[in-house]
Amino acid sequence: MTSPGNPMKNILPTRRGANAALLAFFGASALAVASPALAQARDPGAEAFVQTKAQRVITVLANKSMSDAQKTQVFHQAVDELADVPRITNFVLGKYARTITPDQRARFTPVFRTYAENVYQSRIDDYRGEQLKVTGSVVRKPGDVIVNTTISGGQITTPLPVSWRVLGGGQTWKVVDVQFKGIWLAITQQQDFVSTIDNAGGNIDVLINQLQKGGSGSPGRR
Amino acid sequence: MARVRSRSTSLRDLDQGPRRTTPGRRFATAGAVAAAGVLALAPAARAEDQIPTVAAAPANSDSAVSAVKDPLEGFNRGAFKVGMGLDRVLFSPIAHGYLAVTPRVVRNRVSSAVYNLGEPNTVINQVLQGRPKRAMRSTARFVVNSTVGVLGLFDVASKMHLPPREADFGQTFGAWGAGPGAYLYLPGMGPLNVRDGVGRALDIATDPISLYVGGFSTDFGKARTGVTIVDLRAQTDPAFHALEDAADPYVTTRSAYTQYREAFVRQATGEAEDLPDFDTPPPPPATPKP
Repeated sequence: MTSPGNPMKNILPTRRGANAALLAFFGASALAVASPALAQARDPGAEAFVQTKAQRVITVLANKSMSDAQKTQVFHQAVDELADVPRITNFVLGKYARTITPDQRARFTPVFRTYAENVYQSRIDDYRGEQLKVTGSVVRKPGDVIVNTTISGGQITTPLPVSWRVLGGGQTWKVVDVQFKGIWLAITQQQDFVSTIDNAGGNIDVLINQLQKGGSGSPGRR
Repeated sequence: MARVRSRSTSLRDLDQGPRRTTPGRRFATAGAVAAAGVLALAPAARAEDQIPTVAAAPANSDSAVSAVKDPLEGFNRGAFKVGMGLDRVLFSPIAHGYLAVTPRVVRNRVSSAVYNLGEPNTVINQVLQGRPKRAMRSTARFVVNSTVGVLGLFDVASKMHLPPREADFGQTFGAWGAGPGAYLYLPGMGPLNVRDGVGRALDIATDPISLYVGGFSTDFGKARTGVTIVDLRAQTDPAFHALEDAADPYVTTRSAYTQYREAFVRQATGEAEDLPDFDTPPPPPATPKP
């Protein structure tokens, strides 16, 4: 993936001293520039799924004639069509997905569902875009596809890239994660939840109780 | 999220974004960022900033995304708490006041002007990354927006098919092959890692606008610093709200920042992202931390 190069040749004269120090710091001889990733196949089925279902969610949230309560209700219904909630629920538990008891899972599932709906609705609503356009997709492996889109309109002045990770095949797909600006929401939640359980000595009930309260409520609390 | 200019993210749109700091503005801006340390949470991107989400099959479920080195977690958590406290009593009230009294169109103009002042630094890094065409386009953007765009208030260049493509030293190091190193949270600087911390210091030390127009010792530098801080905090406000949903805001900030910066580096390298396998949980914990 990489090829050797000589970064020094492009350095501006006025920056020579500073950049030489930088190169020394990092070991210039080891520096290399990666080549672009190989082109990968698209999946029209996954793209069509995201175009239809994700657009529906965005349309609902952008609907100025609906009350917040109505939006929440419709969003709740749309989530089942758009997302694979059981898979996401298992994923965000990370390593604790292997150790959670049936009783804890029974309590965690509805709590996480409510929590996640609130979080995802808030994050999507942050943008207040109106139109979703699929710009491409990448098949990671059969049945695991990243669909790239842009959201525009509404309060968005420049098309906003949003990627959707969808699992499935044929005509049956479900979203399992959403990425804004390089940040995957489910991956971030997994790290958040696992850390919380770790810091509670492995007690998953602590996380369940915290999610019931709606998160930390205070960024600096911990 | 606006695009992340000053090494941070913003969750909303934006045709503007906080920009790199100048030597003179370093402390104030750092304070804002720190306070906000969360900058990494606010995405804000433009279509042309599409992040390479091309994902190769992961070797295992413990992807690079989750493999954050945080040997100083105890110190970092304390610093994070201080940073968030500082934000609550100082930067948040200022930003909310700014948001309350200025219409979006005005804020967008301010953000564009702040971004424009960082464009020369972007050019330097695009050259260092071996991207002469991007450097030429960014140079053209700076010339056009500084003149026709009235000192950068209007992003005229974007409408001339010269979209913004940011770059900084942290990204340049990443493009050259440097890893992120240990995660750091520093009061006054916000979320960082070793690579981006060194990069940010260089962004500040070599910023052409500060060197040739005026740093913090000048009225221009002071004004630029103040405006940049307020603009940055306002743009990242949604990220702060997002943190309130987190069970562990510190880890959420660390995760978001790390993912954002790695994605930013991938913009320069075109490398594939290593995502975890969704259906295979990592091994169970050996001994959870007490």
